[in-house]
Amino acid sequence: MDPPPEPVSYVCGDCGMENTLKPGDVIQCRECGYRILYKKRTRRIIQYEAR
Amino acid sequence: MHNKVFPDIDYRKAAAPIKSAVDKFQLVPEFLKVRGLVKQHLDSFNYFVNTDIQKIVRANDRIVSNVDPNLYLRFKDVRIGNPTIAMGDGVVDDLSPQKCRLTDMTYAAPILVDIEYTKGSRGEYNTISRNNVTIGRMPIMLRSCCCVLYGKDEAELARLGECPLDPGGYFVVKGTEKVILIQEQLSKNRIIIDTDRKGNIIASVTSSTESTKSKTIIVMEKEKMYLQLNQFTKNIPIMIVMKAMGMESDQEVVQMIGRDPRYGALLLSSIEECASLGIYTQPQALEHLGEKVKKQQPYETFPSSKEGRALSLLRDVFLANVRVNKNNYRPKCIYVAVMLRRMMEAILNKDAMDDKDYVGNKRLELSGQLISLLFEDLFKSMISDAQKNADATLSRSSRSSKFDFSMLIIRDNITHGLERALSTGNWDVKRFKMHRKGMSQVLARLSFIGSLGHVTRVSPQFEKSRKVSGPRALQPSQWGMLCPCDTPEGEACGLVKNLALMTHVTTDQEEGPLISLCYAMGVEDLELLSGEELHSPNSFLIIFNGLILGKHRRPQRFASALRKLRRAGKVGEFVSVFVNEKQRCVYIASDGGRVCRPLVIADKGISRIKAHHMKELADGVRTFNDFLRDGLVEYLDVNEENNALIALYEGEATPETTHIEIEPFTILGVCAGLIPFPHHNQSPRNTYQCAMGKQAMGNIAYNQLLRMDSLLYLLVYPQRPLLTTRTIELIGYDKLGAGQNATVAVMSYSGYDIEDAIVMNKSSLDRGFGRCIVMKKYTAVSQKYDTMTADRILRPRRKPDPNNRGDIEWEKMKILDDDGIAAPGEIIKAGDIYVNKETPLITKGNATMTGLQDIDYRPNREIYKGAGGGEPCVVDRVTLCSDKNNNLSIKFIIRQTRRPEVGDKFSSRHGQKGVCGTIVQQEDFPFSERGICPDLIMNPHGFPSRMTVGKMIELLGSKAGVSCGRFHYGSAFGEPSGHADTVESISETLVKHGFSYNGKDFLYSGITGCPLQAYIFMGPIYYQKLKHMVLDKMHARGNGPRTLLTRQPTEGRARNGGLRVGEMERDCLIAYGASMLIYERLMISSDPFEVQVCRACGLLGYYSQKLKTGICSKCKNGDNISTMKLPYACKLLIQELQSMNIIPRLKLADS
Repeated sequence: MDPPPEPVSYVCGDCGMENTLKPGDVIQCRECGYRILYKKRTRRIIQYEAR
Repeated sequence: MHNKVFPDIDYRKAAAPIKSAVDKFQLVPEFLKVRGLVKQHLDSFNYFVNTDIQKIVRANDRIVSNVDPNLYLRFKDVRIGNPTIAMGDGVVDDLSPQKCRLTDMTYAAPILVDIEYTKGSRGEYNTISRNNVTIGRMPIMLRSCCCVLYGKDEAELARLGECPLDPGGYFVVKGTEKVILIQEQLSKNRIIIDTDRKGNIIASVTSSTESTKSKTIIVMEKEKMYLQLNQFTKNIPIMIVMKAMGMESDQEVVQMIGRDPRYGALLLSSIEECASLGIYTQPQALEHLGEKVKKQQPYETFPSSKEGRALSLLRDVFLANVRVNKNNYRPKCIYVAVMLRRMMEAILNKDAMDDKDYVGNKRLELSGQLISLLFEDLFKSMISDAQKNADATLSRSSRSSKFDFSMLIIRDNITHGLERALSTGNWDVKRFKMHRKGMSQVLARLSFIGSLGHVTRVSPQFEKSRKVSGPRALQPSQWGMLCPCDTPEGEACGLVKNLALMTHVTTDQEEGPLISLCYAMGVEDLELLSGEELHSPNSFLIIFNGLILGKHRRPQRFASALRKLRRAGKVGEFVSVFVNEKQRCVYIASDGGRVCRPLVIADKGISRIKAHHMKELADGVRTFNDFLRDGLVEYLDVNEENNALIALYEGEATPETTHIEIEPFTILGVCAGLIPFPHHNQSPRNTYQCAMGKQAMGNIAYNQLLRMDSLLYLLVYPQRPLLTTRTIELIGYDKLGAGQNATVAVMSYSGYDIEDAIVMNKSSLDRGFGRCIVMKKYTAVSQKYDTMTADRILRPRRKPDPNNRGDIEWEKMKILDDDGIAAPGEIIKAGDIYVNKETPLITKGNATMTGLQDIDYRPNREIYKGAGGGEPCVVDRVTLCSDKNNNLSIKFIIRQTRRPEVGDKFSSRHGQKGVCGTIVQQEDFPFSERGICPDLIMNPHGFPSRMTVGKMIELLGSKAGVSCGRFHYGSAFGEPSGHADTVESISETLVKHGFSYNGKDFLYSGITGCPLQAYIFMGPIYYQKLKHMVLDKMHARGNGPRTLLTRQPTEGRARNGGLRVGEMERDCLIAYGASMLIYERLMISSDPFEVQVCRACGLLGYYSQKLKTGICSKCKNGDNISTMKLPYACKLLIQELQSMNIIPRLKLADS
């Protein structure tokens, strides 16, 4: 089976605090109440081609 | 030897220009610092928010119940609060524009009122006061006085996620930025003499007061004067109107018009007509008018009174701007007389006609005024609704709860009405009979200049299709007010205009004090004048905002006194005084919407600004407003400019000069200001560049990477132009450039450079020339449904489904995180899933569904369609927020970097656009002895017919600039004042750095290595990459989708459509005789269809699957059926015609 899901954390657009969200949660930073969250950059290794 | 003869003369000094002119250029940046580029919008909105809204509320401040007059509600005060929003959970959040843009909210502030109302019933009432009641939310203009950005410095703006160079002046409505375009219209409440369609001379007045709007026309038809008014069925002889207003004596009318016998003669037939109708007294005239009144419209309500409708029309509609006080119609009679006099002047002397296109006869309506109209309508609707509701509740006999007036005013109507108008652009104000479309537009954010140009745009009111040149032509009175270059090409050419750099649009100013000031300064009141005195030869009429105040015996003295008061700051700075010698009138204007601009005042040709003033300005002890206050600079509107003699430069001033221009280049707008040496170009080239500058890629704002635009084009290495202008520095184009300085060789190369194509250097492209980033926004919403269910976003499968062989879906989900949403930084390809979303099967109905299993969901994944091209796309940013329905909305910004390819469009700043024709290895490019190799090669044929000499000077100037390390200037008309370098001085610099004076270089061929036969004109030119790129446009298809109805191939690239062989192409093929090709294109490759045709009746039959034959449904047999092929569209046409009772019959011949 798949490994147990790792909770994905999101960065607050205002204070930079990391939040985790469950389905149905209000989109809001727990720390400052800011309502825009950003996804963190992928942790996989990405190789870009520069031309 | 010379020294011996004239020993005391230093020739150098004698030849040097006399240092007389003070450099007033610094005033321009100071002006823009104080006023900003979009100060017109901000001032207008501020005026609305601070003054107008209070006027509106004060004028309608009471709601009184009709049932119980003791119950009332009174608005005591109104103001706009801070931009906030009440979230669903009772929390009030502060808003910032950036927050609104990101979360699709409206940047609005509550409209707060203080109210006082009575409560209770049957004799016991108590008055209650409540402060700060919200009656709605007002969208707030960015950078206006209500905005959180107001007065913030750069650091604070950056903290709010805002670009300091952004001018503001727009709104954020539901996350999109909306500009209310400046509307140009004919001025209200002014007499305009014009001709109508039949060539009759008319005098028209569009009256506009707080209560009514009307248009009054007096027309001269068959030598008789008539009144045209919408409320009358027929034209009314003007003498009857005069008599109806109590002017029964014909003699007095003639006196009021003027004693010149020619005027009397012109009026004679009108007087005769009136007499022949037997109308001599006021009652007779009123009776006559009463018969001509149109039947009352259903919802139009006029106070019904004894006086009759005719008189009330004359009072309230006819020339509504002239108020009737205590039934004194005399001012109106005089106004009519003045109108008649102006018409007669126009008849006797065609020069006296007014020019509708003259800018002084125009008013610009700005966002504040437009929103105020909307607000007034909504506020009045709210009040009438509240009253209706109150009456309904109170008249109900059994009332359970106590009646509370304050509950009735808190409605969403104002909020929604304002929001709707702003987001759709439809201004539907029934109360003022206003139905206008396209008033607001989405702010163009393709380039910084584009957005700047958008907020200064002026759009016309009247329809565009008219084939007249008058309104489109350049008006001399536009000078300094509207940009002569910046107008679109094609349909709206000359109608859509742009404001010039220093233009200001006035807002309303209080009239009362000005009027009393005029009387105090010797204006003889109209009331006290007899008709005879009105036009006495030694006096001028004083007309204030279209209203005749009276006359003055010494008009020039009066005008200059008023101007002195204005310069001293005792009268508003935007009040204009204009003495019209021809009409023998002094026009004083304080109304809003006039365009004006600042000028330096000169006394007898000597500028009031001295060197020490400019020094104080440079030291920062003096601001632009100090110049205004000290009477050194003043604003002149278009009319008052006619009383001024304005010198372009201080040195050119003569003793008659009254004003001196601040800087000549300010006659251009922001877009034209980017062009270096525009005064050396052919004028349409500058117009083309104005249109193209808006499509150039570059930086759009400092916060460009924080914004979530649905489409964003950025240049990877934008540069600041080597050859700048003062305007560029003033508006910040040097900080947010949209182009790169390319070394251009003007020569022919390879044949891939014909028709304006350019040859590009491959190594330059490798180095990053013209490389751009395209960012697109994709939004996915996780919906909630009525059935208490919601979409769900699932964790992706990491492995193929073991139960499902050939499962490839998991591979499309590789870029997803464990939350089922694509992660930033991942490379995304066409077909990739970026949100692994599933939707419940049942989403409608009112049964609440709970405990859904996996089976109850269907996949509803968001699949990326791909951007095309060789370069990969990357997920740049992913944001999560909730939208207004509280659904989770996920926004993706997907980025693609593109290098220029053949077919991409480039342009210099001189309207010289061209596509990239070929890309050549640097090895094959020509090079100079210094090793300089051009970035692109431009064909010299672009120059002779286009006459863009400015481009050549730009090349010279930038070449000198890179050599000596100083940015050179090319401001419009800048040579005399030193804001543009002269070719002479540039050539000197070039020679100093070892180049030829003419900018030509000695080049070697890159292919053969031989020296080229000619010297090549080579140097840097600022090139813009335009947003039109091949990648977004190229399209071809073989087989593909077809439209359902006609079965023909679809249309357009977006639908993967086919390329049409149209009727012109078909004609060519017919003429050529390629019938089989036509047959193939129009039928086989399009929509072939097999039909059964009955040879007997010529109608279409059908194929019976049972009998395996074709059957004619009319003849009811299959005897004469032939099978043939025809385009499905043809069959459809036949059937559609049949449905309209037209029978097309097919007659078959042997083939």
